[in-house]
Amino acid sequence: MTLVLLLLVPFLAALIVLTCKQSTRAVCVAMSAGALEVIAIANAVWRIRSNGVLQSGRYLRADGLTAFFLLNVGLILSLVLAYSIGYLRHIPAGRFSSPRWFYSLTFLFVFTIMAVYLSANLGMLWICVESTTLASALLVGFYNTKGAVEAGWKYLVVCTVGIAFALFGTIALYLAAVRSGVNPESALDWAVLMNAAPSLGATGNLIKLSFVFVAVGYGTKIGFVPMHSWLPDAHAEAPTPISAMLSAVLLNCAMYALLRFDTITSHAIGSEFSHTLLLIFGTLSITVAALLMVVQRDLKRLLAYSSIEHMGIIAIGVGLGGPLGLFGALLHTFNHSVAKSLMFFTAGNVRENFGTLRMRRIQGMARSMPWTSAGLVVGSLAIVGMPPFGLFISEFMILTAAFSASRYLIAILLMVSLSIVFGALLHHFQRMLAGKRVDVPVKLKLLPSDFAVMGVCTMLLIVLGVHIPGAFANLLQRALVVLQ
Amino acid sequence: MGLIELAAAKALASSAVFLFITLLMMASAKRISTCIVLFSIQSAIMAAEILAMAYAGKSVGAYIVAALVIAVKVVAIPYALFRIMKDLKASQDVASSTTGAQSVFMMAGLILLSFFAVAPYAKTLRLDEDLLAAAVALLLAGAFLMVSRKKALMQVIGLLVLENGIFVAALTTTYGMPLVIEIGIFFDLLMGVFLMGLFVFRIRDTFEHLDVSKLRRLRG
Amino acid sequence: MNLAIDVIQALLLVAIAPLVSGVIARAKARMQNRRGASLWRPYADLLKLFRKQDLVPDTACGLFRLTPAILFAVTVTAAAFVPVLHPSAIFGMSGDFILLVYLLAIGRFFLMLGAMDGGSSFGGIGASREALVSALAEAPLLLALISVAILSHAVSLSGMVLCTVQQYPFHLSAVYVFALGALVLVAIAETGRIPVDNPSTHLELTMIHEAMMLEYSGPSLALIEWASAIKLTLIMALLIGVFVPWGMATSASITALAIAPFVFVLKLTALAIAVAVIESSIAKLRMYLVPDFLGMASALAILAVAFTALMR
Repeated sequence: MTLVLLLLVPFLAALIVLTCKQSTRAVCVAMSAGALEVIAIANAVWRIRSNGVLQSGRYLRADGLTAFFLLNVGLILSLVLAYSIGYLRHIPAGRFSSPRWFYSLTFLFVFTIMAVYLSANLGMLWICVESTTLASALLVGFYNTKGAVEAGWKYLVVCTVGIAFALFGTIALYLAAVRSGVNPESALDWAVLMNAAPSLGATGNLIKLSFVFVAVGYGTKIGFVPMHSWLPDAHAEAPTPISAMLSAVLLNCAMYALLRFDTITSHAIGSEFSHTLLLIFGTLSITVAALLMVVQRDLKRLLAYSSIEHMGIIAIGVGLGGPLGLFGALLHTFNHSVAKSLMFFTAGNVRENFGTLRMRRIQGMARSMPWTSAGLVVGSLAIVGMPPFGLFISEFMILTAAFSASRYLIAILLMVSLSIVFGALLHHFQRMLAGKRVDVPVKLKLLPSDFAVMGVCTMLLIVLGVHIPGAFANLLQRALVVLQ
Repeated sequence: MGLIELAAAKALASSAVFLFITLLMMASAKRISTCIVLFSIQSAIMAAEILAMAYAGKSVGAYIVAALVIAVKVVAIPYALFRIMKDLKASQDVASSTTGAQSVFMMAGLILLSFFAVAPYAKTLRLDEDLLAAAVALLLAGAFLMVSRKKALMQVIGLLVLENGIFVAALTTTYGMPLVIEIGIFFDLLMGVFLMGLFVFRIRDTFEHLDVSKLRRLRG
Repeated sequence: MNLAIDVIQALLLVAIAPLVSGVIARAKARMQNRRGASLWRPYADLLKLFRKQDLVPDTACGLFRLTPAILFAVTVTAAAFVPVLHPSAIFGMSGDFILLVYLLAIGRFFLMLGAMDGGSSFGGIGASREALVSALAEAPLLLALISVAILSHAVSLSGMVLCTVQQYPFHLSAVYVFALGALVLVAIAETGRIPVDNPSTHLELTMIHEAMMLEYSGPSLALIEWASAIKLTLIMALLIGVFVPWGMATSASITALAIAPFVFVLKLTALAIAVAVIESSIAKLRMYLVPDFLGMASALAILAVAFTALMR
């Protein structure tokens, strides 16, 4: 029941919000639905902690890994909803552009993400990941401008093709399972496959083929480099709360799917093949993203490339394996989502105040928007991996894992690209923050919700950077157990 | 009755050849309507295969899947695409970046490539090599169509051909996946086509044309 | 006995050729809602032409005069290679399909030379266009025939026909399908029908074969027209024989031999009507698109050859 509730709340909320004609009522319904969902998530996480694995019917299951990612979704969802109260004042009027459609589509999006996390069955997982693409496509194209429509089309087409390849990989895995003697009716169930994994190894090449296709397929959704072309467009053109959701939640969701497959593959034929592939994608992503970040002109595109880079770091963490690499990778998914949300929120504030996201045209932010600038500084320091903030811990773990596995080239590449990112961000933001533009009126009045959101993010980053709370570390450990 | 069964069996044994024929015709097609009709024919061939499997294995699930294929891929999606074409009042021209002969050569090359790609797996897994090669060829052909055709609707059709290929692969290797998953996949496909149709209208409204090769504002 | 049937089938091809032209013309007329000329009109045309005077341009040398004779002789000889009534022919030997292709090429070569010798610019245009089309059509023609030869483990046309006749009619091999596709496209190019060439036009922009025979008159023109009709019939008989030969006399029994001509005429008529339908529904391709058309034929032919190794 816990699990069904997690799915039911956003679905019903999506329908109900659509019926609210007044925007204030829509906002109220949305906020209460969000609160309900967060409570449901907390309940689910608590239940998983005490019971181990929750199962509901044949297709819904939540284990330790699910709990960790659910916590992530709950946190980001609450932050995004709080931020959107202030943000929605600025949505221009037009077809599809009204608060009730915004919240309805957002809750539909949340429903599909929940469905991904709760899938017990790899086929179901595929269906739900594809439906996240479909649900968020309209959100990406929400503003209906030329850029938004182009970004939405590219997102829809590229991700659907990528996910189709992932389906091919899923079918190959299903074939391997059926040929190894697993009952065809349940050969797509993750737990069943984990049990049968050693016997799957006999089909050798088929498992490798399946993983390659799955890595390419779900890797498209994650934003690994040869397949990343949709990401900067989609994350830049979407409304800011949705950009935050895309970067902080959807990318993690796709990574979760890839992790499920990686675990099965590692148990079947050993982890060398899959981890090498992940390392290749990871290093490619961080180098290309870091280099491209230097020449960006649009703030949200810069943040999108930063997301690609961090997903690369997570992939490297998983690819290095071992308790240290994996722990660092999982921690990094959480840290990155908090930091990226903070950055997107400040970007949204910048957009509303200055009317543009072109970094060249933004000057004197420190004077005109002190609190947002503080948020930006904190966010960029966090993104780069500076010590008081959480990303330092996770990146340091991954670096340590690289050195202890004697993968010196990867460690060096990681450090070099982090330095390039630091330089790029310094260059871009210094120009934005400094300057003597005193003629820009302060158009934006920050609501208490905006302050709260930025404050919560900062606090979380500092807490995770200084001392990881015991309960959280416990949750992380249980997630790791699932993966090993 | 025996003759009809024999004829049907022989025809189904050559269904890979029919799929290749539809691919080559799609490569040389000059109008979007032709491509939609060819997609419909491909789906019909797939439905015939599934019906044969259902008849041989006497499984109800396979009959349902065959009915779904006919309802969704042979009737509903082509009808929706034709409606979109009519409402858009766009030109039927396919706007290919390769000439007819070049497309057919590429398609022939892809078909041969798929045979080579499939050879090791078909032997070790004792699968029907022709149909598996047809599946991979459909996949590659769908990707080729998406890349070489500049109209937005042609990208949708290329995507549909790609998904057809994956479906045939599932058919050949495992005689289909569990029923619930198949239904979910069909639902996703329908929603996907619906959304893409929506976006095609939006592209037409904001950009005044349907040439996706000109959608290059966001770069770098 | 066999030799007698071979001779009869060769003579049949030569004699029936103008009738095939007549059927195609009549069918096209019917499709355009006209009544059309009589089916025997081409015979009347040939008779008329044989009684007329042969005019030769002053500037022409021997080639102009020789061409009609050479063309006719070569085409009649080629007609003796094709199995029509039973899976064998007068000149059936190993490798005869290659010889057939190049016999037709000899005829075409002399036609081009004669056209250029005639001294008019139309002859030059026709010859150069024909050179382009035939150069591109040669490869797919040979490759398609070779692929069928490989598939039927035969080295002659009679062998190919025999192999196909003995198979169960429902067998659909990818090689046959692709070879048929390639050969149909090449046949359109070789025989000069729409969409490659319009056989009833005299516009400078659109004619290829007509341009080459523009200067001829009298018996020379009759021979050239008859030769092109024989070529059309020959290629149609080739397509029928290689791909749908059922109905041919495989044994020496009287019934089989009696049925074979009727079945052949039936198939020929069907094919002639199909040609007429295609000609009436497709527009002629512009010249720069003809290489593209033949490129498709080449792709199909290459695919046919590749498939002899991949599928059966």
